[in-house]
Amino acid sequence: MLDNMAKAIRVHVDVSGPGTGPGDEVATRRGSSIDGSIRVARVQLEITRRQFLAAGVAGTALLGTGMGPGRSNMAMNYPDPPWFTEGEVVTTYNYCDMCPWKCGIAVQTVNGQVMKIDGNSLDPKSRGMLCGRGQAGVSFMNDPDRLQSPMIRTGERGEGKFREVSWEEALDYTAEKILAIKDTYGPEALAIFGHTTGDFWFTDYFAQAWGTPNAAKPSSSLCLSPRDEASTLTLGFPVGGHEPMDWDEIECVTLIGSHIGEDSRNTVMQDFIESRSRGAQVIVVDPRFSSAAAKADYWLPIKPGTDTALLLAWINVLVTEDRFDRAYIDQWATGLDELTTHIQEFTPEWAAGITDLSAEQIRTTARVMSDRLPQAAIMPGRHVTWYGNDSQRMRAVFILNSLLGVYGRHGGMYFNKSPFLEPYPHPPFAVTGSSGGCSAEPGEESAELPLGPTGKARADGARETFLRGPTAMQELIDPMITDDPYRIAGLMIYGVNLLNSIPIPSRTIEALKKLDFVLAVDVLPQEHVAWADVVFPEATFLERYDELSTVPYKTPFIQMREPAVPPMYDTMPGWMMARELGLRVGLDAYFKWETIEEYLDIRLRSVGSSLEKMHDAGGVIIQDGKPYLEDFVADGESPFHTASGKIDLSVAELAEAGLDAIPVYEPTEEPPDGYYRLLYGRNPLHTFAKTQNTPVLSDVSPENELWINEDEATALGYVSGDKVWLENDNGDRSGPIAIKATQRIRKDAVFMAHGFGQNAEGLTLANGRGASDTKLMSRYKLDPISGGAGMRINFVRLVEGG
Amino acid sequence: MTYAFLLDMSRCIGCEACVVACKSGNQLPVDRQYIKLIEHTSGTFPDLTGGFQNHRCYHCADAACVAVCPTGALFKEDGLTRLNRDACSGCGYCVQSCPYEIPVMSDGRSSKCDACASNVGAGGSPWCVTTCPAQALKYGDRDEILAEAKERVAALKDRYPKAQVYGETQAGGLGLILVLPDDPETLDIPADPPATPVVVDAWKEVVQPLSMGATVLAAAGAGVLGIIARRNHMAELREVDDEKKAGVTSGDAGSEEVGT
Repeated sequence: MLDNMAKAIRVHVDVSGPGTGPGDEVATRRGSSIDGSIRVARVQLEITRRQFLAAGVAGTALLGTGMGPGRSNMAMNYPDPPWFTEGEVVTTYNYCDMCPWKCGIAVQTVNGQVMKIDGNSLDPKSRGMLCGRGQAGVSFMNDPDRLQSPMIRTGERGEGKFREVSWEEALDYTAEKILAIKDTYGPEALAIFGHTTGDFWFTDYFAQAWGTPNAAKPSSSLCLSPRDEASTLTLGFPVGGHEPMDWDEIECVTLIGSHIGEDSRNTVMQDFIESRSRGAQVIVVDPRFSSAAAKADYWLPIKPGTDTALLLAWINVLVTEDRFDRAYIDQWATGLDELTTHIQEFTPEWAAGITDLSAEQIRTTARVMSDRLPQAAIMPGRHVTWYGNDSQRMRAVFILNSLLGVYGRHGGMYFNKSPFLEPYPHPPFAVTGSSGGCSAEPGEESAELPLGPTGKARADGARETFLRGPTAMQELIDPMITDDPYRIAGLMIYGVNLLNSIPIPSRTIEALKKLDFVLAVDVLPQEHVAWADVVFPEATFLERYDELSTVPYKTPFIQMREPAVPPMYDTMPGWMMARELGLRVGLDAYFKWETIEEYLDIRLRSVGSSLEKMHDAGGVIIQDGKPYLEDFVADGESPFHTASGKIDLSVAELAEAGLDAIPVYEPTEEPPDGYYRLLYGRNPLHTFAKTQNTPVLSDVSPENELWINEDEATALGYVSGDKVWLENDNGDRSGPIAIKATQRIRKDAVFMAHGFGQNAEGLTLANGRGASDTKLMSRYKLDPISGGAGMRINFVRLVEGG
Repeated sequence: MTYAFLLDMSRCIGCEACVVACKSGNQLPVDRQYIKLIEHTSGTFPDLTGGFQNHRCYHCADAACVAVCPTGALFKEDGLTRLNRDACSGCGYCVQSCPYEIPVMSDGRSSKCDACASNVGAGGSPWCVTTCPAQALKYGDRDEILAEAKERVAALKDRYPKAQVYGETQAGGLGLILVLPDDPETLDIPADPPATPVVVDAWKEVVQPLSMGATVLAAAGAGVLGIIARRNHMAELREVDDEKKAGVTSGDAGSEEVGT
């Protein structure tokens, strides 16, 4: 009844949501409109429901002034008395889920209510500090739009009509459907997409136990794959989650397409600012005067799509002016002769015309870097899937870093080491997974693709349309439509905002229509949830235990997640869903543990710890790393796991595959007349398409803006604040979005923060706010080395109206 | 003990973690922020400089808001400007008088940063200071903060020839001391915020005491007048008595007095 009342009230509520915590204050009734009154009622209902759930007391004071224990009149100080004096403050340790970076956090709970999150001072990622998204974790948990109950579809797929069911029914039905798929097509016919920090249980554990090689994470082919494959080809290991810049001693940092500050990854912001404040030179290459560019000593406002030309010219300067670390290359690298011959034509003068920079800028910055080697490095960056030739561009980055002699050197780039922690003992998996991911353990790439139980390899075109790397999520959409190479009949989506992540969303919708079965596991009714047959509502990271987080680092470490409060509503942790489903589909051998605590304690035993000990020690276990060359030399090992045991400046494997052994410049398509290249990136208070409905973040940062050069805007008759729609050259539209007319961007491109423009009726705050870059992507270019999707080849113009 | 914040704008990268930490720790409602970040840009592409103005209370020593507050809801403590919303009458004078345009009305009362009085009082640190990933914020003894600000400015001169401390003397000395990479105008910060306006000074220093004095005077005057009136009344009563004793009848005088 409470739920029905809440839903009834919610229908009339305006778009403003409640504040950040249980003591939420809203507009008083003084002169408020009917909407205001209903908003007050809605928030008070919400608070009362939380008390109801927490204390088991019948919530009779639905429309009264019940604000919670110890709360005084709304007009008092915020709050009065302060929350941390209201009862015992209980601290639990966790790793943040507000982005995939997983900062270690300390969570403060009072009287069963989570009140505050801060960085865990012992954690090497957060070091006691936390970004704005991490600070919004409580608000994320308290989002009134959360999925509250398992559901099974009643209407047509896509209508978003569901009935609430018990977990028993939802799990039994799901098991039945996926077993039917397995019987008809084989277990490989079930694809599993996953992201956020809980994806392990679905994309890794369940997928491998079940036997599908078609498990994928967007952080691979829609983000990092080109970087990690280029690194593996050059150095013998991927970059790994934590870009191993040796920040404490670095003297020159070069960012190319990296917008630290707007990309508000906690640790990187800390390290970048510390290095810079210590005196390190900063070179930023970006078509936009980003927050990071405003902190640069040299800003190169490069023409989009031409970065490889710049990198080749930098290599040219270092080689032709003999400004590279020759001793390092002689000892640790192969292919210098080939590189020297190859690079001669790529002069700064040649690159200047292409990049729209001056030859002098190119030479000067090359010299600034080389003057400081080996304490000068190019940040490998994060999201590198730009133009479809991105692995080659990253190869150029790693060649340049090698010439600067950075790998394994103090102040250059250290070697990451994975922490030691035994996995939970389980029977051999039915298939070896290849989902990869931004914080994944570095794995081995096998020459032969792993086969599922009925002999099928993954269906994403690996080894055919692209050479290597983790499963490419966007390449699994076509097989769902065409049944080529084989039918993919089922899809589980864990924490991926499907229709706001994969380019060409209309194609994804076509796939969703053709599938036999769709399961959505999520915290919120994201846009794609309306297309599910079954919905599993997940308990947030603050409400559950989870797999231990193992972080390869200079000092490798292990992080824990322990619940601050029990699951809200009728939600369930992901590990429990995976287990319950596993028990129903014949995978009991993989789920022999009775409780998650048992699972975790067994793992921690291998490092002499336990959940209790780990908590008492402050929530983190830190181990010794192996960061520098001397550590390997002492052991008689090479840190470079290439066939040669050295850095390969020229890569034979690429030549054998008919690709360039050393990068060349490949121009990208130019915008048609009247169109701008659509560039996208981050906003410091948002994560992908995940946080736009989080009340406190929506409050401070409700919409994205379209960055357009001020002169271009004026010529089109626009000023900042004007709302426009965007139309790509395929006729797809998204909007409305407010113009930001600025000097901070070139004239040939526009820029917006990714993740807005969502069409999800259940997301009160995010629905219809801003424009969507994803919905303006009618094409992408497949990187032939890594399967990455180059997405910056879409062009838009400004139009009026929808 | 006088406390202050240090805000090093050469470090601030505009990530707004402080904004959300403050909202979360202070449980601010929708539409309320004690801190707002405003991006500033100078120049034309590609010759640009820029940064983020941190729009937040400067905790002036000579706080205009404290001077005009009729109820004492705004007051100075330990060098910081506190706000007791219980005592706020909602008059809005603080909103009108602040040279940095900081206080706003929320739920009918003034609202602004109070330097996390309760959090610091309980042994903690202001929420913004704890969370800042750029370590641009510090909080501590004002003398030490000021000394550190000057050291940082000296170290910044190579990269920022116009680096300067802001807040040593402005508004009598600020409780939010900035390390600025450039002149304050580049971030829309007034170089020398107007001194508390003469009108406000007059209100506080002259009119308020004057009106208080006038009230006292009026009360005193009323008292004196009352004494005089009574003396007159008593004198007239004695006159009537005398006349009666002398056999004189004076009807008008007698009835007027009774009616008085």
